[in-house]
This record gives sequence, C-alpha cells and structure tokens, in this order.
Amino acid sequence: MTAMESIDIAFPQTLPEALALMADEATRGQPLAGGTDLMVQWESGVRPPPARAIDIKHLHELHEISETHDELVIGGAVTHAHLRRTAMIRHYAPALAEAAATVGGGQIQAMGTIAGSIANASPAGDLAPSLLAADARVVVASVRGERNLSLQSFIRGYRKIDLAPDELIVRFVIPVKKPTEREQFRKLGPRAAQAISKIMGSYRGEIRDGTITRFSVALGSVAPTAVRLPDVEALVVGRTLDAALLDEAERCAAASVKPITDIRSTAEYRQWVSGRLIRGFLEHVGADN
Amino acid sequence: MAVLERVEYRHVGQGMVRLDGEEKVRGQALYADDVPVPDCWFGEVVRSPVPRGRLRRLVFDPAFDFSQVCVVTPEDIPGKNIVDMMGQDMPFIAYDDIQYRGEPVALVAAPTRALARAAAARIVPDIEALPAILTLSEVVDRFHRNGEGLHELAGQTIRKGDIAAGFAAADRIIEGDYWAGHQEQLYIEPQGIFAIPEKDGGVFIQGSLQCPYYIAPELIVTLNLPLEKIRVKQTAVGGAFGGKEEFPTLIAGYCALLALKCGKPVKIIYDRHQDILYTTKRHPVWTRQRTGVKNDGTITAMEVDFVLDGGAYTTLSPVVMYRGILHTTLGYKCPHVYVNGKVYRTNTFPNGAFRGFGAPQAIWGLESHMDEVASALGMTPEAFRLHNALHEGDTTGTGQTIFEPMGTPDVLEKTLARSGFSEKLGKASRGTPRDGKYYGIGLCFFGHGSGFTGDGESRLKAKAALDLEYFENGKVGVNIRISSTEMGQGTMTIMPQIGADGLRVHVDHVRCPFPDTKYAPDSGPTVASRTAMVVGGTVFGAAEKMRRQLEAFASESLFGGERVELDDNRFTGAVTGATRTFQEVGAAYLKQHGPLRVMNQFKLPDTLRWNQKTFEGDAYPSYSWGCNVAEIEIDALTLEIAVKKVTGYYDIGRVINPVLAHGQIEGGLIQALGYAVMEKMEIKDGLYDASRMQTYVVPTALDIPEFDLHFVEYPYSHTAPGAKGVGEVPMDGLAPAVANAVKSALGIRINTLPITPEKLFAAMTAARRTGEAAA
Repeated sequence: MTAMESIDIAFPQTLPEALALMADEATRGQPLAGGTDLMVQWESGVRPPPARAIDIKHLHELHEISETHDELVIGGAVTHAHLRRTAMIRHYAPALAEAAATVGGGQIQAMGTIAGSIANASPAGDLAPSLLAADARVVVASVRGERNLSLQSFIRGYRKIDLAPDELIVRFVIPVKKPTEREQFRKLGPRAAQAISKIMGSYRGEIRDGTITRFSVALGSVAPTAVRLPDVEALVVGRTLDAALLDEAERCAAASVKPITDIRSTAEYRQWVSGRLIRGFLEHVGADN
Repeated sequence: MAVLERVEYRHVGQGMVRLDGEEKVRGQALYADDVPVPDCWFGEVVRSPVPRGRLRRLVFDPAFDFSQVCVVTPEDIPGKNIVDMMGQDMPFIAYDDIQYRGEPVALVAAPTRALARAAAARIVPDIEALPAILTLSEVVDRFHRNGEGLHELAGQTIRKGDIAAGFAAADRIIEGDYWAGHQEQLYIEPQGIFAIPEKDGGVFIQGSLQCPYYIAPELIVTLNLPLEKIRVKQTAVGGAFGGKEEFPTLIAGYCALLALKCGKPVKIIYDRHQDILYTTKRHPVWTRQRTGVKNDGTITAMEVDFVLDGGAYTTLSPVVMYRGILHTTLGYKCPHVYVNGKVYRTNTFPNGAFRGFGAPQAIWGLESHMDEVASALGMTPEAFRLHNALHEGDTTGTGQTIFEPMGTPDVLEKTLARSGFSEKLGKASRGTPRDGKYYGIGLCFFGHGSGFTGDGESRLKAKAALDLEYFENGKVGVNIRISSTEMGQGTMTIMPQIGADGLRVHVDHVRCPFPDTKYAPDSGPTVASRTAMVVGGTVFGAAEKMRRQLEAFASESLFGGERVELDDNRFTGAVTGATRTFQEVGAAYLKQHGPLRVMNQFKLPDTLRWNQKTFEGDAYPSYSWGCNVAEIEIDALTLEIAVKKVTGYYDIGRVINPVLAHGQIEGGLIQALGYAVMEKMEIKDGLYDASRMQTYVVPTALDIPEFDLHFVEYPYSHTAPGAKGVGEVPMDGLAPAVANAVKSALGIRINTLPITPEKLFAAMTAARRTGEAAA
C-alpha cells in the first residue's frame, strides 16, 4: 500500500530511549511490535496508517520472562510463540499458553506479542480471558514513571485501554497457578485453526475437600470487552460441585452475558454457549477430584 | 493388424509426477503479476456505490488533473457496449441502468497503481437510487407469490411421463425444500490480466484465465476488432475452480479498452478484497423436491422446483441452471418426472461458474431429500437407494438410456461395504450423546454428466493439434496445442501422458505448453469435467494420426517401403526387424518436410440425440458416478461439528493419472467440506458481508477428515483412453452426506447450507419448543 511506504519508523535501542521518543509529541509514534493487527487494519482502512511508528519489538527490556514471589512476569514484546512454548508459562499459567497456541497460525504467533494483543483491545482477542481469570496486572511506563494496574481496569471498553499517549505497556504480572488450582482455555472458532473466535473463555479454579474454593472465569466475544463473570463466581464458590450446580451455573452464565450477532456467530448461540462453556469449565475443575 | 492397433497404455494409468510441479514449488512459475511488462500502466475500475439505480452523469473532480491518466467511459468503446455473453444484457460499462453495487461506470489507467486509484476516487457517479432485490429469500418469497416483481433471466422444464399419473400411483408423497447460499472460489491467485496494444491495431491479452477462446470471440464485439487481432495467452494460473471461466473476459476487456485508448500496456490485478467483492460466486439455490413412492420404496414421481439467484445479468446462469435441473433427479429410476428450473435476477454481482456448475446445488437437495423419503417409508437410506438406483440399460429423467457399463450401482455397493455403513448407522446417536459427543453417519449417491450438456460437444467440435518440431533443448518433440488450460488440476501432465501413448513414444518427447490462441486451435473451454474425456480423447486421436503419418514416412524414406511400426520410442520394420529411434525419424522428417502439424476433431457418436427445447434425449455423452459416506462428531457441549472420515468410491472412467486424480478428489472434497459446514456469505448493503479471508472462512489442514477414497474404472466407451469427468465430481456429494449424518446424530434435518453450530442450536431449540408445545 502506498500509504505505508511513507511511515517513518524509529528504532530505539533501549526502553528509556523509546519512552523519550514517546514523551515528545514531535517524535511520538504508533508503538509497533509484531504489527499483526496493525498492518491488517492499515491495509483494510479500519484505521489510517500513522505518519510515524516506533519499533519496540527489539527492546530487550520487553522480553523478560521470570518468576518472582508467586508471580510470573512476562515482558510486553514476548510473542505468542514464546507464550505457548516456554515451560515456565506452561507450568504457572497454562491457560495463557493454551490461548496463545490458538492465535492465528505459526507466522502470526511468531510475530504477534502479548502487549499487542491486549493493546488491540478486541473483544475477540484470545489472550485477555486467561489473563483476567488469573487476576493479571499490567505495568505501563512513561518518562513520568510506571503505573501498575489490574488488567480488568486497564481494558476500558471496545478497543479502549487506559494508556496515556506517552506510555508503553512494558510487562504483565500474573499470579502463578497454585499446584492445587486448575485452568483451562477453550475457544470456539469457525474452523480448527487460523480462526478468529466466535467466543472463547478461560478459568482458574480450585476444589478443596469437595467444596469449590476458587472459580475465576472470563469470556471473550460476548461483550465489548473480555469480561469476568462475577455472578457465576459468586454462585459457585463455597458450593459442592453437583449436577444441580452445573445447571444453575450454566443458566447464570447465559443470563449474565448479552452478546451480539455479527459475521462470526449469532447472539442466541453465543449466549447459550456461554453457559455451556461454564458448565465445561466446572466439569473440568471437578474432574478427578 | 489387430495386434498393431491394440491400445497398450504405458503412461496412462501411471501416477506420473506433474510436469509443472517443480517450477511451481521452486517459485519459478510466472503468474500474471510476475510477468515483466515494460512501461505498463495500472487499471482501476470506478464502480457504482448503489445496487440499483439510474446513472445521471459522472462527476469529475475539477481539482484533479485528469490529463495525467487515461479514462474510458462508454463513449470510448470502439464497438458495442455489451459483454458478448448469453442474454447480451450486460454493458461493459454501465451508462444508464445500474443493476448491482460495484458495476463499472468508468475505467482509469495511470502509470502507477496509486495514481490510478486516486483518479478513480475522483470520478463520482451521480445515481438516482432505485429499489433493489438483493437476496434469494426475497426471490423465493416472490416466487411463491406468482413471481411478482421478478425478472426471469432463464427458465427450462424437463418432462418425462405424466407427473400427475406418477403421484396418483404413489402411496406416499414426501416434500422438502433445501437452500444453499453463495460460495466463493477463493483460488490462491486473485484475478489478473494485462493487455498490450499491438502495432497492427490489435491487442495481446495475457493472464490468469481458464478459457482463452471465450475471451477473444467475446471481445470482438466490444473492441470492434477481427478475431485474429485479439491474441490471448495463458500465464501460470494459481487456481480457478470456475472463477476464471467467464469472469476474465470482463477484466480483459477493461485492460484492452484502456490499453487501446492510452496506447500503453495496462494491467489489472485484483487484491483479495476486490476479488471477493467483484467476481462471480456459486449461485445460491432454493430447490423443492416432491417425491411419490410406493410403500415398497419404488419411486413413481419426482417433481422438482430449482430456483437460482442469477445476480444482475444473464451471463452463464442459464447453462448453470440446465446442468442443475439435469442433476435434480439423476441416479434414480423414475417413470414420471417434472422439473421446473428458473433463474431470477437479483441486484448483486452476476453469479457464475464454480466447480460443479449447478450440480452440487441440485444434488444437495436431491440427496438430502432421498434420506427423508427413505425415513418416511421406514426404510434405511441404503436400502432405498439400492432399490431405486439407475443401472446400465435404465432411462434417466430426460429419457436417456445408458447402454455402456457404468459405475452405478457399483460405487454405492462398494462404499456401503467399505465404510460399514449399515452397522455404523445403528450406532448413530439419534439425539443422545455418549462421552460428550453425538456420532452421525450419512450417505450420498450421485452422478455427474461429463462434458457439455446435450449436444454442446457436437456444436463445439473440439479441436486439438500436435506439432512435431524441435524443442529448445535441441531434441525433436511433439507440442500438444490445445486451448485447455493448466490451472492446478493437471492438464499439462495428463495430456503428454495421453499423447505419448497415442504416439507410443516416451512422455519426455511430448509437452503441453500454455495455450496461446496464435498457435492452439479451439478445444473449447477448460470446464464441465470435459478436459480429460473430450480433449484427452481428441489428443489421443491426433497422436494416433501423427504416429501413422510418421510410420508411413519412415517406411517410405528410411525402411525401403516395408511396413513400419512405432512402439516404445522405436520404429521397427516388420520384415527386416531394422529399428530407428523416434529422434532419428523425427529429425529426418523435419529435415525433409519441415514442422508437421496434425489436427483432430472431437465427434460424438451419431446415435446421440438431444432436443435443446424440450430437454429430451441424451443429456450428456457419459456420466461419472460417486458415493460418499461421511462420519461426523458433534460436541455435545458446544454443537461444534467435526467431519471425521469420508469414505468414497468414484467412477471417473479410465484414470489417467491416479495421483492427480486422487488430488482432485481430495481437494474437491475439502472445497465441499467448506460448502457443507463453513463457507458463508450474506448480502449487507448490497455487497457480500464476508469480503476478506479474515471473514470468509474455508477449511485449513486441521479441518480435513480422514479420507478413504477409491476408484472403479468404467471407461468411456466412445473415445480412447476413456476418461470421464473428475474435476467437479468431488464437489457434489459431501454436503448432503454431512446433512444426512447430522440427521442421524441429532434427529434433526438441516435444510440450509452451511451447517453451523448456530443452525444446530436454533433447530434444536425450535424442535424442543415444538416438542414442549405438543406435550
């Protein structure tokens, strides 16, 4: 495309350099990591190509993957390919790894990043539900300093995030899954792979002595943003998992979302299958217990 | 003599590696956009933003400098402003009526694509918008109200026996209706053509196309040029599936009109978005099947309505509908038949050719319905089909009695046995899941007419030429000159196999280059499952002629007059046993006489008869047959559908290249899988809502089921080597097999394509409500 030929791209070598560029309106640009969402949007006209972009894919500060004090830290430029294959992530946040494995195809996974997926703030973004269910936090930075927010508050609406013009997403902080907890991610798409979700969801839960002690669950593509389902969580925590609870939870979940009909699915199906996914998650947390 | 004329196939029947494979895998093949064209300008189309209206005028932005670009409006068309296809109702560039959103109102060319696009954006049509009919459901609503407000593009009936008597003789009458929507071909390479103005006032057109001899004759009217001044050549083609049958005439015309006006080569390469929005699709269909049966399962009457959404103009729709109605009853014995085919206008891009060409739409309805008829009678799907299936010597719905051995009911019997259908059907879930899954299994049995409908092949008289000449490697060889195109299916490989066996030389000596109308005679279009059968037969005949000529030459010039036989690359004297190689004899011939061209022409048997008005007689020269069993799993939690296994037998006549034939069958089944369970487009604001690969979803490798596919060979008896149609056959059977499997899994009939979890949920909800209301 001709418009893209005229983008000036800056290549800062360090995060402070990038933040300095972002701080000044004259040098500020569209942060660009994998570009897997942005380039499609520029080409299709969904959003106009920017005059300037700042390449942040190669900033070493954004590639961290570490575990500290029961928390997993994942840099913003970590790719889906790394999310799905890194043993530490597969161990401490398995649903996130599962979700990353369903994003696009191999090429998209090699380029696309966790921060890009969250910054795109599409309700169909595959990573948000598992991060929300794990109570993940996001750290953003500018020359003014860092802010540490819950992901839930960071995602403000359809394609809206709580990011100032001079800020960059630098890392995610995810409480690790405890050995007694279980997780699952499930995505329904129109085909087995390379698909944009009709609906997807993720949970983290725990059963102790027959009682559900934790059940955090989030769904995507049923609302303008990925959402937690607090009514379902409140309903099931403290209860014994039995057939009656499965029915109640399924009904509660379906009642607590108001999805829309679009090119990928219908409101009716999405609403019904929201309940079905919750039933499936509860069966999963209860299996072998 | 008998021994001399015995046909012994050395190459036919072998899974030879495709001759164009290596250059394609290595990325060396030149597709339309890869061919360097010096000083080439880029074409763009200015399109109507409304689906129907009256064009008042074009408004040229005064702020834009139009002197730097070339603009073509109707006044610039040298000949008639029509696309010379059936109906002759489509203008090349709209000048008054607007009949679809995206209809061209002007053409622009410029030295860069960006400038062409910018200029196109500065030409704004001023249109008085009028009410439009956009969807098949609107058409069918009006059809039920006696066709109120509909514009009929084509109509045709088939009558056999007395349909009223057939229903009177029936114990039961079962009726059902079946719908399917648009399907996009989604070839890998988008449409692309370039046109180069020639010094003599003519034009050279090259690009991604299926049918060189459609484009040249269709453009003479528009360009006002004699046929010999329009030369058309094919580049490598990255898939077509019918999408490059009639459509390329439009884009070739745009390029040619621009090139002739601006005096520069002009090319148009659609991007994917343009390609999906502004090219042909499979016709949406509504079909109603009404069937009379005896209690013992004997069919007494078949009455069918078959209504196609034609889009805005006639183009190929009548022929698609003809093939469709001929397949709405095919494969079954029935004394009384009435079929009513219609094509109506909607204000969308004209629908067109797509693998199967009306037959998949017809078979979708027929084979869904046959299961419903069996079910109403309390018969199993297989028992009902075995009871009624057409056999050799039986008569079709058009009164055609088939006198050659053929694959029905063999494919049906073998598929049933191989798949274990009867036993597995007993295990179908019938609405009660086990281990979180519903299991279903479905059957579909079908035929497919090979070659053009009716006497089309008699009228066309497909020609093939063989040229004995020097290849660029210095060897003597034979170039097969036909207008049949390689578009991924294997023409370039099977034709040398066939030609080599007709000549009885090694296949290395035979090639089939890209067709160029300057060198290749008209063998007809590469469509209708006719290439291997009709053109292959014509090539074989030409090769036999050339062999006899070379044998005669060798006898006279090199063997002292004794009888000479060419076999296995060697000329051998019958008396002396002396031998000469093909290279030696070929070189001697070329030295003495220069290049040798041998022509052959296809001819149908004189016994065939066809009435194009009444659709009585021999509807096709021959038929391919197929049978599919689909096994599916439906996730009980989410109703996601997975097609797990497809078992199938096919009679495609003699199999020329089993590897390529299997590739055709598997590829076609994957395309049919998309049609069955995924591919969905609807009309939104006059355009297709799924207009990118992001939203138009086709199967990927992970969706492909296990295939268990086999051939039974009943060669076409009229022409060696006896191939029948293969290209379209795999598109026919899978969708109804999956719908029938869904019925066995859930107890619910889905009568619209594609079959999605959303539809299953809606149907199950409706069934539950009906059940509750009944209780």
